[in-house]
Amino acid sequence: MLAEFSSVLRATMLGVQLGMTLALVAAGLTLIFGMLDVINFAHGSLYMIGGYLGVTVASQFGSFWLALLIAPLAVGVVGAAIEVFGLRALYGRNPLYHILLTFGIAIMVQGLVVEIWGGQSLRIEAPEMLSGTVSVGPVQYPVYWLFVLAISTVLIAAVWLMIDRSDLGILMRASAHDTEMVDALGIDVSKVFTGVFVFGAILAGIAGVLLGASRSVSPGMGFGVIIEAFVIVVIGGLGSFKGAVYGALLVGLVTAYGALIAPSVTDIFLFAMMAVVLMVRPNGLFGATEAA
Amino acid sequence: MSHDSGTSTGSREPTNRSASTTSRRRFLAGSAAVGATALAGCAGDGGDDTLTVGHVLPTSGTYALLGESIMNGFDLYLEQNDGQLGGYEVETVQRDTSGDTDTGVSITREFLVEEGVDALVGPVSSAVAIAMMQTVQQESSAIWLNANAGDYRVTQDGCMDLHFRTSFNDWQTSAPLAQWVYDNVADNVALSYADYAFGQNSKTFFQEAFEEVGGEVVDEVAAPLGTEDYSPFLGDIEDSGADAVFSFFAGGDAVNYITQFSDFGLDENLTQTGSGFLLSEDTLPAQGEAALGKYSLLHYTATKETDRNQTFVSNYSGEFDRQPNVYACQGYDSAQALDVAASNADSTDASDLAAALSGAELDSPRGEFSFDPGTNEPLQSMDVREVVEGDDGVENEVVATIDDIELPDWGCSL
Repeated sequence: MLAEFSSVLRATMLGVQLGMTLALVAAGLTLIFGMLDVINFAHGSLYMIGGYLGVTVASQFGSFWLALLIAPLAVGVVGAAIEVFGLRALYGRNPLYHILLTFGIAIMVQGLVVEIWGGQSLRIEAPEMLSGTVSVGPVQYPVYWLFVLAISTVLIAAVWLMIDRSDLGILMRASAHDTEMVDALGIDVSKVFTGVFVFGAILAGIAGVLLGASRSVSPGMGFGVIIEAFVIVVIGGLGSFKGAVYGALLVGLVTAYGALIAPSVTDIFLFAMMAVVLMVRPNGLFGATEAA
Repeated sequence: MSHDSGTSTGSREPTNRSASTTSRRRFLAGSAAVGATALAGCAGDGGDDTLTVGHVLPTSGTYALLGESIMNGFDLYLEQNDGQLGGYEVETVQRDTSGDTDTGVSITREFLVEEGVDALVGPVSSAVAIAMMQTVQQESSAIWLNANAGDYRVTQDGCMDLHFRTSFNDWQTSAPLAQWVYDNVADNVALSYADYAFGQNSKTFFQEAFEEVGGEVVDEVAAPLGTEDYSPFLGDIEDSGADAVFSFFAGGDAVNYITQFSDFGLDENLTQTGSGFLLSEDTLPAQGEAALGKYSLLHYTATKETDRNQTFVSNYSGEFDRQPNVYACQGYDSAQALDVAASNADSTDASDLAAALSGAELDSPRGEFSFDPGTNEPLQSMDVREVVEGDDGVENEVVATIDDIELPDWGCSL
């Protein structure tokens, strides 16, 4: 009985942590879609670049914290480049162009990563002060994993508040809702778009560094996470931030409990869940109720 | 979610070749359409003194690193022998399988029928190997040097006189460790493995051998291939109360499993053991200190202190600017096997080559080994290694070598 309780507790903690970190990736994906109407297949690549740059910074300077600061900012720069030099020319066109461009970028990035860092798995060294385990009830849980849980949750809460309450959030939502009107009010919408894309890229970069110390950093991680992020965003509702957070929690918990009950069919179950949501609520759980 | 990264453009890439007999090969390929099966004899019949080798290996996707290492090892041996094997000029052709079964089979067919290769080297993936068997058997026009795919079923179901493992089989990297674990570590274990053919085979072979020597398996945990978070599985292992664990994971899975095993503090009460791919040259840098004190079994260890191996290591790192791994050794031995076969046979005919290699002995960096005349499996010693602090990060140290291992024959008798 005790063993079972500890299994469930352990899985719950993993599920919430996974959900919150995935939300960092899914949030960017859904914000970019909501504001720019772009389905960004390269979003997983931004997450991956975060992980790889994290490896490089952490090993060069011997500091995880520096990696957590620098790598996401660098990913933001990459995001800016993709938006300004790639996507900007394609706004308002057939969404297929966006998909083709970002999918092409994703494949290029994967090739480049193998060229630069090689095909083997790498890892970011977690900081010494976060090593070891602590007792959470009957479960020994790694301190670092709790740290990832905490920092992801704080970040997601902060982003939520910003979108919901701040002037910047209002501007973002307004730009998405009625681009022409915001433009007419004297605000440079293209800057808002770049800003949103960079912001989404930075969040993905942070997730890449955070998970790069608990999981391996490998060339396949970009495509792995983009599939999960799409499942989340479809379940939550394309374009909805709230939907992305709840969707991510759901996917995280299902993944964690699934590993406990029937590991081999967890993936199938996730996709089945997505299919059911699409049939019952085609706009996703939060797609219809939220303007952004 | 998906483990395989999938940038497969392999089937559209041009074939890479490294010798200059292209136009003549094309001509041969053309005539092959007319008299397909006669092609293998071309080299001998026409006084052709080249030996054509087809690398059926991935250079993209999950197994890219393995494929490249095998080719590096092969090239190193070739270079040391002035581009000749058994007195024949060697021409190599290579196409990217990207680890995909269908691509692997179609490349095999193309190599055999159109390129008229005398020898196949590869593949990396057992799924590709099993799918290739029929084509290789049908054409019977090339000797097959299996440079990695370790699934025992290639011998059990194929049992082909043209198939030689220059690598290992999955029994060898699991079962022989059982006695050693029972004697030196614990009399009860939990088993954890990646849930696909190779992981399942390794688990079963170890379990059979461990129970045979009197050990008890108290729990088994199967994690899907490509799992990134092992905490639910590690929880099961911890709750099982076992004193030791035997595992099969490889590549990125091995990195995640081992580091999380250590992150969750399982080292305190459990000793981790496993097949050598769990703790190998390509995973140890990422596993780091989490790997310390863990044991694994493999046929090649780069740090092994024999003259033969030290020479190989220094030649290899001089050439490619990195340490060799087990795959590089297997590539090197594939070239060496072909050298022995061609010089003994004095022919490039597939059945002559196979007859000459049957039972032959190779002076490999891993140690001397020979091909079992009954199955063409490698009869080799296995190293038990412990991960220790090295000069440059963590490394494997050989703590025991298991000799005279009696291999099962899986009903194959050549």
